[in-house]
Amino acid sequence: MTNLKKKLMEGEIVFTVEMTPPKGPDVTSIVEKLKELKFLTDAVNFTDNPSAKMRMCSMSACKISLDLGFEPVLQMSCRDRNRIAIQSDLLGAHALGIRNLLVMTGDHPIWGDHKEAKAVYDIDSSILIKLVNNLNNGLDINGNKLNGKTDFFIGAVVNPNVDPLLPQLKRFEQKLKMGAQFFQTQMIFELEKLERFMDFANKFNNIKIIVGIIIIKTKKMLHFIAEKIPGVVVPQWLIDKVNALSDKDVEKFGIEFASNMILSIIDKSLAHGFHIMAISKVEDVKNLLSFIKIKKE
Amino acid sequence: MIVTKQKDIQEIVNQIEKFNSFFLIGCSECATLCGTGSEETILQLKEWIESQHKKVTGWFIAKTGCQILGTKKELNQYKKAIDEAQCILVLSCGAGTQTITEFFDSKPVIPLNDTLFIGNMRRFREFEEKCRACGECYLIFTGVCVVTLCPKSMLNGPCGGYRDGKCEVNQKMKCAWITAYNILEKRGLVDSFYDGLLGPKDWSKSNSPRYIEKEK
Repeated sequence: MTNLKKKLMEGEIVFTVEMTPPKGPDVTSIVEKLKELKFLTDAVNFTDNPSAKMRMCSMSACKISLDLGFEPVLQMSCRDRNRIAIQSDLLGAHALGIRNLLVMTGDHPIWGDHKEAKAVYDIDSSILIKLVNNLNNGLDINGNKLNGKTDFFIGAVVNPNVDPLLPQLKRFEQKLKMGAQFFQTQMIFELEKLERFMDFANKFNNIKIIVGIIIIKTKKMLHFIAEKIPGVVVPQWLIDKVNALSDKDVEKFGIEFASNMILSIIDKSLAHGFHIMAISKVEDVKNLLSFIKIKKE
Repeated sequence: MIVTKQKDIQEIVNQIEKFNSFFLIGCSECATLCGTGSEETILQLKEWIESQHKKVTGWFIAKTGCQILGTKKELNQYKKAIDEAQCILVLSCGAGTQTITEFFDSKPVIPLNDTLFIGNMRRFREFEEKCRACGECYLIFTGVCVVTLCPKSMLNGPCGGYRDGKCEVNQKMKCAWITAYNILEKRGLVDSFYDGLLGPKDWSKSNSPRYIEKEK
């Protein structure tokens, strides 16, 4: 059982962090970050060509992390691989020792740096969850017997920010039924939206929700997130508030905002963990976690 | 209908510059509705070619350009004009163009249109893609074709990227799954739809080239 799964099952609050594999062959920078991050968080997610921008594959980054003694979460989308490639890659990842997965349909190539690429989308994320569940039962997606069973911990994504919400909730329920064992949310800026989602999610037994958190570093970053990241809704009051701050104060505000969000969520028992997204410096994670610690005390 | 669009004028100029005499063929079906192969379009093209000091030996509008034998029969009466032309310009979809290619293997047959999609006309000459000819129709469940109208061909509901009900990929378009979900709701089918899982889709049904034999 992975450490992430064990902690979630035991009801311990988990912290995971998002890393984007490098744009190029040089892994020096991620290795340096991983060496520090492994003492700070429970696991590290490696994104799968996020926003359809081509980067090193998640699987290799996961293996590098495993070798450094830091538990990875392999993110896999349906955008670039058909069902044959997905299953083949997942079996390969399993052979390398990767166990935590976070599966999703994936951002469309139109958002990326290879807009002309053919979008695959042979299957969607609900089917992908079923596919992984099959692998865990020793079967491929067509029901053919494998020479063993995989032992993946299956994560899925959900976006509590969207409007209308109901179709999203039905998909959440379907993903749960297909075998999702934990969920990671899109980044959350409004507690009410998370509460609205959790009112629904709490109807189901044993659900494990890891909430996406972002540390706002600059005004530019917030504007980019608001405009360019699919599925993210940044409330206007937050944009106005950040716009009114000096650049230096934005960074301080970012840490405060993220930690207050985390503490409120813990207070209200709205989640089972936190996923710190789009980090640029390890220092930010350190600052955030120590801020939370101080506030908690 | 098969929706077509006339190629960029510069591309057409490049394709035909080495020729001096042309026979023009349009189509009275989809290409006429699209304004890419109608009589009016053919006559405008004729006028333009002649203004370039080149010759149009003749023209005709096929009744149904993708109907091979019917078109062949119609073409018989234009044999002389076609013989006189150095090349044939076809203003139809790709299928219609290939009908003509079948009859003239040594004479250049040049398509002047790009074939875009299977779609409907909303208003005059405004077209919307509706069908990808995937060979496995799900409209009974979803009402609108999510394979076509969702850029990710999601079969089981929307992705997490829609914003105010609009598609992540094209924010001018409503998310296909929000429409499909409303249809399921209005028909009282949400729960039964989500009792199961739609797919995985059998894409082998759209492996090209496809062929249907006459049933005996």
